[in-house]
Amino acid sequence: MTEKKYSKDHEWISIENEIATIGITDHAQESLGDIVFIELPKVGRLINAGDQVGVVESVKAASDLYAPISGEIIEVNNELTNSPQLINSDPENSGWYMKIKLNDVEELKKLMNYDEYKETIK
Amino acid sequence: MPNLLKKIFLNEYHESHGAKFAPFVGYSMPINYSTGIIKEHLHTRKSAGVFDVSHMGQILIQNTESNCTKLEKIIPLNLDNLKLNSSSYSFILNEKGGIIDDIIISKLIIDDLTYFFIVYNASRKKIDEEIFIDTVKSYSILNNNSLLAIQGPHSSKIISNLFDGIEDMYFMQIRNFIYENHSIFVSRTGYTGEDGFELSIPNSAIDNLINDLMSNNEVILCGLGCRDSLRLEAGLSLYGNELYEEITPVEANLSWAVSKERMKLGGFNGYQIISKQKEEGVSQKRVGILSKSKSILRSKMKLFNENNQNIGTITSGGYSPTLNTSIAMAYINKIILKNSSKILCSIRNNMEEVELTNLPFIKHNYRKGTI
Repeated sequence: MTEKKYSKDHEWISIENEIATIGITDHAQESLGDIVFIELPKVGRLINAGDQVGVVESVKAASDLYAPISGEIIEVNNELTNSPQLINSDPENSGWYMKIKLNDVEELKKLMNYDEYKETIK
Repeated sequence: MPNLLKKIFLNEYHESHGAKFAPFVGYSMPINYSTGIIKEHLHTRKSAGVFDVSHMGQILIQNTESNCTKLEKIIPLNLDNLKLNSSSYSFILNEKGGIIDDIIISKLIIDDLTYFFIVYNASRKKIDEEIFIDTVKSYSILNNNSLLAIQGPHSSKIISNLFDGIEDMYFMQIRNFIYENHSIFVSRTGYTGEDGFELSIPNSAIDNLINDLMSNNEVILCGLGCRDSLRLEAGLSLYGNELYEEITPVEANLSWAVSKERMKLGGFNGYQIISKQKEEGVSQKRVGILSKSKSILRSKMKLFNENNQNIGTITSGGYSPTLNTSIAMAYINKIILKNSSKILCSIRNNMEEVELTNLPFIKHNYRKGTI
């Protein structure tokens, strides 16, 4: 079963069999505006929740990307290198940027569900 | 905390047309509309966009002998020779020849009297106005005028039905028109590198004017976001980035805007310094930089040569929608450049090779004529 969570840094985390697919939320892409560049993390890197893992740049400004959970990066979305605008057009689906093999499923409890996230962006 | 940001007159209009606002030098300004910066940018290059730039300062100063003499002390132009219905790019200079502001100054006749009409930067409003108030008499700061710009190759065709004879105007010409019983100034100027016009209009008539402009379905509203990417592609300097009080027009590669005649005669702020710099040359020049990777160049990033010598700093940078790569302007040291084979930019602790290029990145598309 797929479960979807949200972080305070405006990332969505979709979990299936201890693999988390991560991207930035529709709200985040909307406020960033036209995205023109993404610096993706390296596959194989071990990360802790809160680590800075990459950079996303819109026409307006650069914003850091933070790991919402701990684990090992097992895949990044290389398609974004040539088509960063996918983050604008399909943020919560084909606009994902990394997949993480989770260290600790318990960490997911610290993340928000959709309703809780929605409250934070009101 | 109270919201201390000033609002422009058409604030509600922009809000109801989907503007996203951001604070800009004390004003809440439309940065982009739902169209988004890139599309607004490309649309302006291809067709026409309307920009509200009412945060900018506007002043009328009567052309008296005394005002003229006093203005010529701070503005390096021959104001007597400035033709009627013409505009000129110039500066307000401090005593060291440093740029207090860059301005557009025009000459107009209103009710049989000749005036200088000056448009100056929002970020320098307070300083400029203090100078004007100390310097001249018989002036009027146009706090109740808005300033709209229509920019893009179709601008002239689009507004020709509103203003008779507008298509005959050339780049850097200005005329006053009567629009619904209001006197408005229309100049063929802009900040995008495209053909276009800037319209100074009393707030009491602006509701109708914006509706008239937007009634053409070729026109879209554009925010300050794409105004910045358009001016960067056009290689135009921005006060606060390329221009500041510690830099002279010569150092900013803008000595063409200091009148030749005034260079001979002198008598303006910083003349000695500027004249010496013109004669001996300066060590820096303003250049264009192109990103070779997909990384975005931003202001304040440092440039180095292959020997890790700091050769300069980026003053403005960003994504170029027209070229689909990142571009920047920078001041670089000409002497170090001679001994450099590579230019590298420090981007978040990585050194990335970049390419030096001439300005502008995009050819200007002005309607130039012999005036």
